[in-house]
This record gives sequence, C-alpha cells and structure tokens, in this order.
Amino acid sequence: MGRKLTAVALAVVLASGCGSPPEATAPPYNATDVMFLQMGLAQIDEGDQVAGLAEQRAADPRLRTLATELRAQWREESATMERSLRDWRQPLAADPSAGAHAGHGDVHSLRPSDIGELRAATGRTFDRTAVTLLLGHLGNCVETARMEVSGGAHPPARTLGANVTSRRQSQIQSLLKLAAEP
Amino acid sequence: MRRRFTLPALTVAATAAALTVGVSPASAHGYISSPPSRQANCASGAVANCGDIVYEPQSVEAAKGSKQCNGGGSRFAVLNDNSRNWPAASVGQNVTFNWVLTARHSTSTWEYFIGNTQLASFNDGGAQPGATKSHAVNMRGFSGRQTVLARWNVADTAMAFYACVDLNIGGGTTPPTTPPPTTPPTTPPTTTPPPTTQPPAGGTWRAGAAYQPGNVVTYNGRSYTCRQAHTALAGWEPPNVPALWAAS
Repeated sequence: MGRKLTAVALAVVLASGCGSPPEATAPPYNATDVMFLQMGLAQIDEGDQVAGLAEQRAADPRLRTLATELRAQWREESATMERSLRDWRQPLAADPSAGAHAGHGDVHSLRPSDIGELRAATGRTFDRTAVTLLLGHLGNCVETARMEVSGGAHPPARTLGANVTSRRQSQIQSLLKLAAEP
Repeated sequence: MRRRFTLPALTVAATAAALTVGVSPASAHGYISSPPSRQANCASGAVANCGDIVYEPQSVEAAKGSKQCNGGGSRFAVLNDNSRNWPAASVGQNVTFNWVLTARHSTSTWEYFIGNTQLASFNDGGAQPGATKSHAVNMRGFSGRQTVLARWNVADTAMAFYACVDLNIGGGTTPPTTPPPTTPPTTPPTTTPPPTTQPPAGGTWRAGAAYQPGNVVTYNGRSYTCRQAHTALAGWEPPNVPALWAAS
C-alpha cells in the first residue's frame, strides 16, 4: 500500500528546478509518462497483494495459474517502470502532499479492508472475491495504460502502455470467463 | 538559462496537475460480471466488434433515470442493439447479480428492471460498497428470454452506471431456439467512430477526442471551454475536471 496515486506536479517542479538542465532541450518524456509509471508502480503494489493471496489460496487451478502469470509480468513491468523513473530522476511515487486526490478518498484503490475481506474469505467465496477484486483492479490498470498510449511522449513508455493494455485485457477476458461460470 | 528553464517546468507541472486531477474520476466505475452483462460479454470476447467498450466495461455512466442499456449517453450505443444476438445466461427465478467495481462510490440505490417492472431496489443509504457487491433478485414470474436492466445510482453525483443482463429464465438449461427479433434492426449497426484525434469543434464532449484550448463543447446541456490541450478519457467529463474545462 506504500505508494499512493497522487500528484506528479510538485515532484516535476522539484526535479526540474534543481540540477543543471541541459541546454534548452525538452525532456524526452512528459507528465503523462511520469504519471503512468508512478501510478503503474502503485497499482502493481496494490494488485500484487490480491494476486499473491490468489496464487496461494485459490481453489480453482486456473485462477492460481493466472495469478502466477500476472505476478511474473508485474515484476518485469515494475523493473522497467522503476528504471525509467530513475533515469529521469523522478520519484518512484508521486508526492501525496500535492493533494490532487483530496476529496476523492481511496475510492479508486484497493483498500486495506478489501484485502482484509479477501483474506477472511474461504472456499468459493475466496475465489469469487479474488476474481472480482482482480477484475476491478485490472480495469483500472487498463485505464492508466491507455492514458499513457494516448497522452505519453516517451516512445518506450508508450510501448509499455500498449503491452500492459493487451496483457491486462487478456487476463480480464480469462477472469470474466471464470466469473461467468455458474 | 536557469530562468528560461523555469517556464517549461511550470507548464509541465500545470499539465501534470490537470491530468492528475482528471485521472481520479476516470477510474470511477462498475459493471455486472455475472451473469455476464452485455458489456462483460463484449470485454470477454463472447460478442465481437463492440468498439471501445471492450476496454472499459466499467464506464457505462450516464445521467440517472434512463431505461436504455447504455444509459442514453453518447457512447456505447452497441449495448442497445438487440440484433447483436447477446448470449443469455440460463437462470432460475432467483438470480444473484455480481458487480465488479473499479471505484467504490457512495451509493444511494441499486435498481433492477425488466421493461417497466421494477424487480428490486436496494438502498445503501450513501454507504461505500465493500470488496464485492452482490444482489439476490427474484424474477417475479418472468420467464424465457428477458433483458434485465440494472442501475447503480451514485449518491453524490447526478450519474448512474448501467448494465443490461440477458437471461433465459426458467431453470432449464436449453438455450432459446431463436432470440426474438422483435424489432428488425432499424438503424444500420453502429459503426463506432474511430478513436481519433480530430478536434470536434463545438460538438458534444466525447472521450477519445483531442481538445485544444479554446474548443467549446457541450456536456449535459452546459457548454464548456477547453483550458488545456488533452485527449479526453472517460471520467474527464468537463464538470469533473475544472483544470481542463471552464464552464461558459
């Protein structure tokens, strides 16, 4: 839960204000790229809590397999995301004090209570809760990735956004099929 | 030199702030996953060629009070198209509807209809949903192929989320012989507008469109002027994102 999906603004100002800027060249990335990578890392942190539990405890082997695949992809994606942010000297998490989410609460995030409900669930209820939480969370991941594809400037980050979109879409398809089973 | 750098930095900051403010409501949605709603059948690939809804089955948001599967909004008209041969799940008289939420809005009510008959309404009194949300709904004697319209009424906005679920009610497992083509497809099947970048000068606000400062759009009967260049996403509706749109 460590990283919060919050404003990039202050971070960008701080990062750009110090150091010695190169001669009037614009950076090869824009604010959407930074936001995508920071939000992506936060979403992976959150989602991995659900996927980790599902990998260990799901009754349906298809759900366990999907969770394993998802976690492996997330490890790879988060390494790429961290590398770019470090290269750009941008913080890995947006600065929560900028308050861009003030008033929104955590409605878009997986809350500790959601993870708690999943932890407490057993049997079929556990599987159904995990599928439901993953579907919602992966839906958010797709929205973030599509934002990058449409608004990012850094070609590798946009490619990552496109890959994340298609990987999560394919997992959403599998999860929807599981959810539709009576 | 140092001075010269300040301006772009601030511009980036302003854009970042605008985008960040905008992205929050973008994730604010939900849909019925089982029995599969029409948007779930699109997203899962069970029904092909649905357009953008495959990326965001959670985004069927429109003003409250509609009886249309897309909520009467400007997007996702494919959901209203009964000629699409939507798969119908076989169910008995008691059906449990399961929602997937990508944001946990405080909720006034969840409503279920077949035609003009309200099957059920659940009042959450403004509470936020938990990890899962399910409702057991009695079909009240309806049988055969039916379309249930579900509405999730958000407590603190004028909006609702819509989902239509096609059912074959009666407990049997035999699929309906033919979906009733009650109305022939009067309009040619919707060709979804390409998710383009042309500036739709003066039209209705639309996700996927690229807007430039000075563009004027209408949304829910009000007009707004674009303040910053951006490509609109669902959830960035003008009233939600004052950083991007000024009410005229």
